[in-house]
Amino acid sequence: MIKMTKVLGKKTLKPVLLLMAAMLVAAGCSSGGGSTKEVEVSLEGRYTVDPETPAWQLDKKSETTDLTWYVNADWWNTDFGKDVVTKKIKEDLNINIKFITGDDTKLNTFFAGGDMPDLLTIFDSNSPVVQKAATWALPLNELAEKYDPYFNKVAAADTLNWFQLKDGKTYGYPNYSNTQADYDSGNIPAKTAFVIRKDVYEALGSPDFGTPEAFQKTMNEIKSKFPDMIPFGFNAIGEGTGSLGDALQDFIGVPLETEDGKFYNRNLDEDYLTWLRTLNAVYRDGAISDDSFADDGTGFEEKVKSGKYATMLLDGTPQQGGNLQIFMSANPGKEYMAIDGPQSTVGHQPTLNQSGITGWMINYITKNCKDPAKAIQIFTYLLSEEGQKLMNYGVEGVTYKSNPDGTVELLPEVKDLQLNNADKFKKDYRMGEFMFFGHDRHKALSKDAFPESIKQMQEWGKGKLKPHFILENINPDQGTPEARGQTAINTNWNTTLVSMIRAKDEATFDSVLAEHKAFLDKNNWSKIVEVRSEKMKANKEKLGIK
Amino acid sequence: MNRKVIREDLDSRIFDAVNKVLLVCFMVIILVPLWNVIISSLSSGRALAEGGFIFWSKEFSLENYRAVFNDSTIGQSFVVSVAKTFIGVITHVFFCAMIGYGLSKRYIRGRKLYVAMGVITMFFSGGMIPTYLLIKSLGLLNSFWVYIIPALFSYYDVVILMNFFRNVPDSLEESAKIDGAGDWHIFLKIFIPLSMPAMATIALFNGVGQWNDFMTTKLYITDQALYPLQMKLYEIIVQSQTQSMQNIGGSVVIETTTKGVQLATIVITTLPIVAMYPILQRYFISGMMLGAVKE
Repeated sequence: MIKMTKVLGKKTLKPVLLLMAAMLVAAGCSSGGGSTKEVEVSLEGRYTVDPETPAWQLDKKSETTDLTWYVNADWWNTDFGKDVVTKKIKEDLNINIKFITGDDTKLNTFFAGGDMPDLLTIFDSNSPVVQKAATWALPLNELAEKYDPYFNKVAAADTLNWFQLKDGKTYGYPNYSNTQADYDSGNIPAKTAFVIRKDVYEALGSPDFGTPEAFQKTMNEIKSKFPDMIPFGFNAIGEGTGSLGDALQDFIGVPLETEDGKFYNRNLDEDYLTWLRTLNAVYRDGAISDDSFADDGTGFEEKVKSGKYATMLLDGTPQQGGNLQIFMSANPGKEYMAIDGPQSTVGHQPTLNQSGITGWMINYITKNCKDPAKAIQIFTYLLSEEGQKLMNYGVEGVTYKSNPDGTVELLPEVKDLQLNNADKFKKDYRMGEFMFFGHDRHKALSKDAFPESIKQMQEWGKGKLKPHFILENINPDQGTPEARGQTAINTNWNTTLVSMIRAKDEATFDSVLAEHKAFLDKNNWSKIVEVRSEKMKANKEKLGIK
Repeated sequence: MNRKVIREDLDSRIFDAVNKVLLVCFMVIILVPLWNVIISSLSSGRALAEGGFIFWSKEFSLENYRAVFNDSTIGQSFVVSVAKTFIGVITHVFFCAMIGYGLSKRYIRGRKLYVAMGVITMFFSGGMIPTYLLIKSLGLLNSFWVYIIPALFSYYDVVILMNFFRNVPDSLEESAKIDGAGDWHIFLKIFIPLSMPAMATIALFNGVGQWNDFMTTKLYITDQALYPLQMKLYEIIVQSQTQSMQNIGGSVVIETTTKGVQLATIVITTLPIVAMYPILQRYFISGMMLGAVKE
């Protein structure tokens, strides 16, 4: 024993520690390796595939299928089978879903730990996880062919093409993916608007905001007549540019690409810069509050709720719908309304954006899925007309009725609950919330789908939408030097924009702008433009745009 | 001479007065924000939306608290939180004390090696993913014990206890040994009672840590039944933030604001731990006394 003590003396400490470290590393690596083995399910005794019938109607599997579904969002409501919507899904498909939520940290541990859930929903379609989907997810086209050909009838071909990876297969399917056909149908409402409080608008005698001069003049009038209000507001700037970046550019119709189809730096467009100069002048007049640059999303929302802004350039009207409604209900006759607002100084028409073909959340069936047949049935079910109506309006006869003209309407008692007991409505019905495969197209079916407060704004936006598909997912790939340059440029542009609007005179405005231009050159801008132009070209090919 | 006494008296009175004023100012600096949080949490969303500093509730409302307690599972989360803090603190302090006691003995074999190993853990950790894999292969995922077992040991706490134990005179231990006491007896009957201040300090540190921790839950727990209060409240806040994102048709008249819910949450989570302090305080005071009589 005494010898042992000697052995473990100072000299040997190092090797022992090294050995321990090596053991730890080895242990860490060995269990991390992918344990992703594909499950083959036999359909024998269950059903034979039929391209004309959704498989969930054929499936005779008697025992309930238990599936885990990971949603990469902490706020997701994990209940299943208690409310009208999920109860129906549970009964129709004979499934039991256990939802797990988390953030990127949890997602990483899932991938590292190798114990993947059966289904997985994430939000960022530009992330490495999506690029590597082939290693951990099952291809939807193969699943459809094997277990449920009806899937191809309900899934949009454009969307499937859009998400095709280099191997020619599609692994994920998003929600709110709007195709050209959706835009053409006119069923997608606009989400951007220049709004003004009705009482202010009337008190000023319906003034004009179209030209920079008129805009500045009217803002000054608001400032003198309504000293308690902030004359002009915009979405919280936070990490992005609020609604003064892309949203304003779309509003005045800055072109999406150069004439020869290359990437166009819309931030430096002359027409747009003219408007930024105007905003700077308005700021110097004291009609833009410094708070607007410091407010976070919550701060902005609370100002909307209390009607603090006289006018706003509002991006994401549905997201503000609740807040606008609160103000509207409490102040009848003063509600916000959309008007034409700032317009191009060179005669462009507005080209408002909506969620594009990339959509929002993307859903995957992983290689660990216990019953891929059941999983693809869920996709088909939720994407079908029936599933879409269920998610948005519940069960026919129980929560809604169909009108002869094809629209739907909530039953009076359900509507009443929606208006007066939002908590209970959320808990018992959960309509419009289970939106893994949600779609604007079906929101257009009912006038109950959007709050009263934004309907006029949506009406105003009709005919002003233009798809921005070619600009989607064109950022340089993560990890490349261009991607790093891009990140730096974005941050720099963000502060540049704020500094320009807050500039104390025109000379400062120009010098800040010049600094940004120099920053672009220093950060490899020409290379980034090249990468983006290349990706735009690929986008056009995918979508068949000339 | 008499004048001198009066002068000294006056001096010390001025000194006391200045001291008192300074301390009151200091107290105000600490108390005002706390008061603001409490009062704001008791105000309606509308009053909060108007902004400005609130000294007295403009529109008294319990809506924020109702929004938090609305969740039916919050009671269970409270039980989980209390259980994990209580069990966690007791086992942690006892475990660290045992190791600290052992390591405080200079005659222990391989002591230097153990100390070196411990120091290394203070600088390097396995990292998130290896730790996750370890927890997973230990079968601790979705188990209550993930709150207790990995939290048993902290080298930092061991060092504090070890140094404290070293200050206990050797003669005490020797005389106990002569009277026939074993190691356990000495540890439990002599060292622990004499080290209550150190134990209380570590218990408080660890208790606050356990009470506030939600990262463990976030990483290792998916079973809602095992969510502690912190995780539950985190969820409530995140949900109140995203309520407007999930645009449900119609008017959703919410009486609360995200800020209100956050403030109510702060009050709910802070109160129990604040309430613990007076209970532990006497150990800190007696700790100073103990130091005072030492040779």
